[in-house]
Amino acid sequence: MRRPRTIGLAALGAAAALALAACGGGSSGSGGGGGGSNSSAPAYNAAVTKVINPSTHKGGTLTFGNTSAPDSTDPGNTYYAYMWNFVRLYTMPLMTYKSCPGKCGLQVVPDLATGPGVVSDNGLTWTYHLQPDVKFEDGTTVTSADVKYAVERTFDRGLFPLGPAYFPSLLAAQSPAYPGPFKDRSKNLMGLNAIQTPNATTIVFHLAKPFADFNYVVAIPQTAPVPPNKDTGANYQLHPISTGPYKFQSYQLNKQLTLVPNTDWKASTDPNAKQLASKVTMTMNMNANDIDNRLLAGDLDVDAAGTGVQAAARAKILSSPTLKATADDPIAGFTWFAALNTTLPPLNNLHCRMAVEYAANKTNYQTAYGGPVAGGGIASTVAPPNVVGQKSFDLYEATTKPNGNDAKAKQELQACGKPSGFSTAITYRSDRPKEVATAQALQASLGQVGIKLSLHGFPTETYDANFAGVPKYEAQHNIGISLYGWAADWPDGYGFFYYIADGKAISPAGNTNLAQLNDPVVNNLLSKMATTNDTATRNSYTSQIDMQIMKDAAILPGVYAKSLLYRSPNLTNVYVQSYYGMYNYAVLGVK
Amino acid sequence: MITFIVRRLIATVFLLIVVSIAVYAIFFLIPRLAGQNTYQLATQYVGRNPTHAAVLAIEEKLGLNSPLYLQYGRFLKAIVLGTHYNSGTSITYCPPPCFGYSFKSQQPVWPQMVSDIPVTLSLGIGAAILWLVGGVAIGVLSALRRGTFFDRFSMGVALLGVSLPIFFTGLILLELFSYKWPIFPNVTFVPLTQNPLLWARNLVLPWICLAFLYAALYARLTRAGMLETMSEDYIRTARAKGLRERKVIFKHGLRAALTPIVTIFGMDLGLLLGGAIITEYTFSLHGLGLFTIEAVQNQDLPEILGVTMLAAFFIVVANLVVDILYAVVDPRVRT
Repeated sequence: MRRPRTIGLAALGAAAALALAACGGGSSGSGGGGGGSNSSAPAYNAAVTKVINPSTHKGGTLTFGNTSAPDSTDPGNTYYAYMWNFVRLYTMPLMTYKSCPGKCGLQVVPDLATGPGVVSDNGLTWTYHLQPDVKFEDGTTVTSADVKYAVERTFDRGLFPLGPAYFPSLLAAQSPAYPGPFKDRSKNLMGLNAIQTPNATTIVFHLAKPFADFNYVVAIPQTAPVPPNKDTGANYQLHPISTGPYKFQSYQLNKQLTLVPNTDWKASTDPNAKQLASKVTMTMNMNANDIDNRLLAGDLDVDAAGTGVQAAARAKILSSPTLKATADDPIAGFTWFAALNTTLPPLNNLHCRMAVEYAANKTNYQTAYGGPVAGGGIASTVAPPNVVGQKSFDLYEATTKPNGNDAKAKQELQACGKPSGFSTAITYRSDRPKEVATAQALQASLGQVGIKLSLHGFPTETYDANFAGVPKYEAQHNIGISLYGWAADWPDGYGFFYYIADGKAISPAGNTNLAQLNDPVVNNLLSKMATTNDTATRNSYTSQIDMQIMKDAAILPGVYAKSLLYRSPNLTNVYVQSYYGMYNYAVLGVK
Repeated sequence: MITFIVRRLIATVFLLIVVSIAVYAIFFLIPRLAGQNTYQLATQYVGRNPTHAAVLAIEEKLGLNSPLYLQYGRFLKAIVLGTHYNSGTSITYCPPPCFGYSFKSQQPVWPQMVSDIPVTLSLGIGAAILWLVGGVAIGVLSALRRGTFFDRFSMGVALLGVSLPIFFTGLILLELFSYKWPIFPNVTFVPLTQNPLLWARNLVLPWICLAFLYAALYARLTRAGMLETMSEDYIRTARAKGLRERKVIFKHGLRAALTPIVTIFGMDLGLLLGGAIITEYTFSLHGLGLFTIEAVQNQDLPEILGVTMLAAFFIVVANLVVDILYAVVDPRVRT
């Protein structure tokens, strides 16, 4: 499953938000209207840092192709990164990510709200004010009750199982537990006490405990307003009521989605989105190679999944200077890594884990993922560079000796009392060729210092639910290393590290802290970060946590994932938004 | 004759039940044998980092926590009597044949399959006409001109058709006629009722691709059949009677050679109507084949069951039609 990321810039957001809102939409198009003036010549990776083909030209059909289908088109029930990008075409959550290229696109800014949340002194209440004149596609005005209702319905995990569950865990609990509006017996179906709406434009969230990243949480599409009398429950996905620049015209489930401009949308209230194309379509369940070829032939504008082209198209693009000039290779936001089981002998000994860090051949790890362009850069830290506050360092010579340092590895093996090495098992997702190749590469390079790996592959669907990181299973089957990848739901250290490194995140099934790391230093930094609003302090926590995990040698970083995106020359206002690691779908137009 | 058909139809129902039981067994028993419990099964249908309560909620919602026989019973009941579904805001009735609700989208399975049938039908029948006419014609000509250049050449091409996988020929066709020289650009399914011309234009490449494989098979089969029948005694007799050669070939030769072809044709067409998986995938045509891929990828039991039973139904019906035709022709089969 595609994992979305979380964003932790809460504090930064607070300070920067007003400024951001002001310059919101990204300055596009210097008049000229017609067929997209080419003010910037195309170049490889150009769209990572600047807007290509800025234009205000209206009209045309913007076509997306998708290798699968969205988990759901209901903003309350989706967890795919590309859908969080795409839903902004028809929704306005309280906050969103600023529409701009480069690092700027990591900032969380108000969308439906007029400013970032105002937090109370004890950190327990967050208050947002709504823009008073935002309208649904049927012309009715959005009120705070619609936002409250949108959040309430996501409490029904039977009907909406796919989206994130931050609200049930962060908001103050009530007894009995709030079951969602469909099962709620109270008359007005507005029974969630933790959210209050003192007036039509004010919404107040009461938290169970302070959570500094809350602005990021409300940037999840789940806060996009839903009018209670228009909600159709499980069928709402077929026609969500739009507050964005486009609305649903038709949706054939898992096949074809057609959006048309929403006439009740005003550019002035939504600076992070644009309404340029006169129609937007998404064709689903297309063959991946077919999508690439249609992109190159100009029959299709965007590959919706945003994870990069397939090997065949990649070869074509990289070997042709013209094609390469219309491609970008941004950081995707994932780090692919190997978690070292900190509880299993002999890897519970720090020096044995350090031996693995030194012995691993990082170049082969990178090659297994497709090399520097398709795979990504060799990683020496756990967090990728597009996590705010990430600092680059290299404790185990990952970048200076990418082929491994066997001498150092042997020293560490001596220190841990296993001079001739040891045997352990490695798990990976057997239906992912890159992980299979990685496991084999690690088996070879660790074998050179006497660390013998046996390979245990499992299907993706059940991988972390039943095997990798499941404490009981790992202990019984001598699983010392598990391959994994991670991207945060929001781009700060808390969002990135909580699930993979906090001792509290270890769970008996579906565990994501695969190293089973329970280091008081890391735990403490994370809990301090959860309540700290100051940006500089938060950034320093991010790099400290990263450093501590590496000192613990709990994770062997592999690559910072990159994806080679083809930037169709038909597109206008195209650039990579760092938060998504793909083109910003909310502002695209066509020539 | 009627009892024959009735008996076959009853057998069909039993066969479909057996198919559905087999799918159930594969879906539930094999993971269970591998040590997976229903809770772990349910974790496949929730988002990432699910809470315990969320997994329990979906387990309950999908009914995975009730005993297998009960789940199967509900499934059968829904097909015969229909079922009610709570979408949260309203209760909707899903009339028979109700194949239940997708685990992923929570939308009824049957209407989705029905909307995919025209795609597969257009693809399958169009290709079938092409390969039947083309394959048989080439086969007959080859048989009559055995040993000539035409025979060798067409049989060589046929061998190529049989050995090249569809995704290969499909990609070549697309590369040449869709991407490089856009004679058939942007292959998309357009309903026949909406625009017959566009419908045909978009399907030309998939038809050719699919028909190439089958035509090759049929040409070789027809050739072999023709060679055999043309050496029969009654052909010699027919010729000795002074019949015109055309009549000998078509009335006496081809008719006899065609009977096994008809049987195979019934099977092939039935199989295709259940979803031309590779062709649909190659050309991104959303028919039953792509529906199947999607269902399996999502581990979506109701969708898998629905499409498997529909495919089985098509095969059985196609066979039934063939058998009835046989029974009409040859009274000895009516047992």
